[in-house]
Amino acid sequence: MSELLIKNGRVFDPINSINGDIMDIAIKNGKIVDDISLSPDTKVIDASSMIVMPGGVDAHSHIAGSKVNSGRIMCPNDSRSGIEKRTKITRPCSGYTVPNTFAMGYRYAKLGYTTVFEAAIPILHARHTHEEFGDIPIIDKGGLVLFGSNWQVMEAVRENDIEKLAAYIAWGLSASRGYGVKIVNPGGGEAWGFGKNVSGLHDTVPNFDVTPAEIITGLAKANEMLHLPHSIHLHCNLLGKPGNYKTTIETMKLLENIKPSMDRQVVHITHMTFNAWGGTNWGDFESKADAVADYLNQHDHVTVDMGQLIFGNATTMTADGPMQYANARLLATKWTNGDVELEDASGVVPLSYIRKMYIHDIMWAVGLEVALLTKNPWQVLLTTDHPNGGPFVNYPEVIALLMSARKREEEMLKLSNKMRDRTTLSGIERELDWYDIAIKTRASHAKILGLTDHGKGHLGAYADADVTIYHINPDQVDAGREHATVKKAFEKPAYTIKDGEFVVRNGEITATPEGRTFWVNASVPEEDNTRLMKDLRLKFRKYYSINLANYMVQDNYVKHPVVIKAGGS
Amino acid sequence: MQTVTLIPVMQSKISIEAETITPNNFAGKTREEIENITIWEGNHKTRLFEFFKIALEGKDSPENTKIIINGSIPRVKRVGEGMTDGMILINGDVDMHVGAKMQGGVITVKGNADSWAGREMKGGEIIIGGDAGYYLGAGYRGESCGMRGGKIIVFGDVKDYAGEHICGGEILIKGSAGLMPGISNNGGIITIEGNTEIPGAEMKKGTIKINGVVETLVPSYKQEDDEEIDGIVYNKYTGDVVAGGKGSLYIKK
Ligand SMILES: [Zn+2]
Repeated sequence: MSELLIKNGRVFDPINSINGDIMDIAIKNGKIVDDISLSPDTKVIDASSMIVMPGGVDAHSHIAGSKVNSGRIMCPNDSRSGIEKRTKITRPCSGYTVPNTFAMGYRYAKLGYTTVFEAAIPILHARHTHEEFGDIPIIDKGGLVLFGSNWQVMEAVRENDIEKLAAYIAWGLSASRGYGVKIVNPGGGEAWGFGKNVSGLHDTVPNFDVTPAEIITGLAKANEMLHLPHSIHLHCNLLGKPGNYKTTIETMKLLENIKPSMDRQVVHITHMTFNAWGGTNWGDFESKADAVADYLNQHDHVTVDMGQLIFGNATTMTADGPMQYANARLLATKWTNGDVELEDASGVVPLSYIRKMYIHDIMWAVGLEVALLTKNPWQVLLTTDHPNGGPFVNYPEVIALLMSARKREEEMLKLSNKMRDRTTLSGIERELDWYDIAIKTRASHAKILGLTDHGKGHLGAYADADVTIYHINPDQVDAGREHATVKKAFEKPAYTIKDGEFVVRNGEITATPEGRTFWVNASVPEEDNTRLMKDLRLKFRKYYSINLANYMVQDNYVKHPVVIKAGGS
Repeated sequence: MQTVTLIPVMQSKISIEAETITPNNFAGKTREEIENITIWEGNHKTRLFEFFKIALEGKDSPENTKIIINGSIPRVKRVGEGMTDGMILINGDVDMHVGAKMQGGVITVKGNADSWAGREMKGGEIIIGGDAGYYLGAGYRGESCGMRGGKIIVFGDVKDYAGEHICGGEILIKGSAGLMPGISNNGGIITIEGNTEIPGAEMKKGTIKINGVVETLVPSYKQEDDEEIDGIVYNKYTGDVVAGGKGSLYIKK
C-alpha cells in the first residue's frame, strides 16, 4: 500500500474553496484521502513554503491524431528543435510546435499537468488519435469529437429530429471512443467541399438547407438531452476574419435559453485570440475583446479559453478547412488540406508570430484582454490552443503575464504602437493571484469538462492523487514585480505526482506510467437508434470509403479506458 | 598565426560527424587538446586522433587560424559548421554539409563536396574546386530559408536543387547545374555558366542568370525585353507568377 503525506504546503484547491491554507494532503493507493495514519512506509514530503495545487488539466490542446501528424510531416524543420536525448526511463524527444508523442507526455508532466484533452477528433480518424494517445506517456487523456459539418448531423437538424441527432452523437462518441461534442465552423467544413465557406450564422450550407445557427442550437439541445458531462465545444464561424466578434457574441446569444442538464455552461467557445476581432479588414483590424468580456460578465452560460498567442513558431491546425486555405494564401506559405468524407474538412498551416507585426501584436493582446476583463476567473481558461496560438510549453509565460501588469508593460514596449491604440491592454491593471491561476490551469478546466466528479482538478477526498508542488513561496514572492521568478517556478515544478506516484522531481521525469483515456458512453432509446442505424447503413453503403463494421474504434486501441455513462435521465 | 594540419590516417565506412572541426574550436588549443576533440563515428563517440595525424604550428585567435586537411575525407560530414572566422583548406574531397550554417571565414575544397555544402550559411565564402552534390546552399528539410548570406563558388558541376529556398547571398556555378536550381528563391543571386533545367520554380524574389542551355523552363514566367549584361544579351523573364514572385531570370540568347 503506497502512502504519501505532503506536509505544510500552501494549498490552492479552488473546487474545494481552499485558498492558500497551510495544510497536509494525504494520499493512499493513488487517491487523495482525508488523512492517513503514519506508518514507517509512509513517504513524507515537506512542502512548507511551497505551493500545492491539483495536477494541471488542459481542456483544449491538439496533441494527437491525423492533424498533428500532418504538422509533423510538413514541418521536418520543427523536429530540429527541442531535441532531448533518451535517458534510462525516457525516450528521445524532438520538436517544438509538433513534438513527438513521447515529448507531449513528458513536457506536460514537467509543467505539472496530468490530464490533457485533444480538442478535435474526426470520428473517421479516431483510431489514429487513440494510437497516439497510447504512445503519450504519463498524462490522462480524452478527446472531443467533430460533429459540426457532419452529413448525419445536418440532416437530423434539417428534419428537426433532435432525438435522432442525440442518437448519432451517442453513436459517434462510442464509435470514436470520444468524450464530447466539438463543433468547428459549423457548416463551413461541408461548404469547403465545394470550394466555399459559410458567411455567417444564418447562411445556408450548400445542399443541406440548414444554417450554422440551426446546427449549433440543434447540437446544444441534443448534448443536453444526452446529459453529457461536457457542453458543446465551439470554434465559431468566421474565425480568423476581422469583425468576427459580432458573430462570436451572436453565437453566445443563440444559446441563452438552452438549459444545461447539469451544473455547468451550455457552450464552451474556444480560442478567443482568434475570434474577438473588430475592424472590417486587416488595415483597420482591432481588438474587440472588451465587447466579448462585457457579454461574458453578464452571462454565465458561456465559458471560453484564451488560445493565447505566443511569439515565434506555431503550427495552426484545425477542421476549419476554408479558413486555413485563406491563411495559406495570405501568408504565401505551405498548407495541407484534408477532407474527412461525410464528416468534416481540415487544414494545417505552419506560421510564425512576429513582434511588431501589428496584427500579431493585437492578437497577442486579445487573449490577455479577454482573460483580464472577464471578472469571473472560472469563465476563461488558460490555453494557447496548442499549437495554434503557440506550444503549450509556454503556459508559464502566460501565467506570468496574467499575474503581472509590469510584465505586460515590459512586453508591450517591444510591440507596435498600433497594438496600444487598438486594444485596451495597456489600461488594464488587474493582476491575477495564485487562486485565480489554480482556477485557470486546472479547477475550471476540470469543471468545464465535467471531470470533477471523476477525480480531476481538485484535492478533495477520493480525487485522483494528481498533485503538483511548485517551488515558490507566495508569502515571499510579489508576483507582480517578480514575474521572472513566477515563470521559472511554473516552468519547473518541484514535484508532479500522478496517481500518487512521483513522475517529475525538480524538472526531471522520474517515472513514466501509462495514462488513462476517458470516454463517454451515452445510452439512447432503442427506437431512436433504430431510425439512426437505417440512415447510417445507407450512408456507409453509398458514400463512405470504409464499411460500417470496420468503422468503430475497437477496445484494444484504447489503453486504460475510463468509461463515463451518460444518456437520457 | 595558428596552422593545424590534419592528415587522414584511417577512413571510415560509416559517416563521421565532425562539426567540431572549425577554426573557432581549434584556436588557442594545444596539439593534445585538438587530438582529443570529440567526433562521432555513427553512434560511437570518438576523438580526432583516431582518424587524423595532427600537426600544429603557433597559437592564435580564430581569425588567424588555418586548418589544412591533407587528403580526401569522403565520409567526414559537417566540417566547418557554424564557423565565424579563419580558414579551412581541404586538399581532397569532403562529405555532406561542409560549411553548414557558416557565418564567416573561408573554406576551400580542392576536390568535390557532397550534398548540402553551405547549407543555411549566413556569411563567409566556400570555394569548391571540383563538383558539388545536391542542395548546394539550400535549407534543410522543411526550412523556409536556405543560404542567407556569403558566397559559394563551384568550379565544376552541381546536382539538383542548388540554392533551394535561398534567401540571400550568392552562388556561382562555373559548370552545369542539375534540375531546379534556385527553386523557391527568396532573394539570393545564382549564376550558372553551364546548362541547367527548370530554373527558378516558385521564385519569389532574387536573380538567376544562366549562360548555358536551359532544357525546360517553367511556363509561369513572364517574358520581358532583352537585357545586356557585361556584353552578353539575355532573354529576361520575371516570376514565378505562380508564387506571385518578382524574381528575375536571365537566360543567354
Ligand atoms: Zn483548437
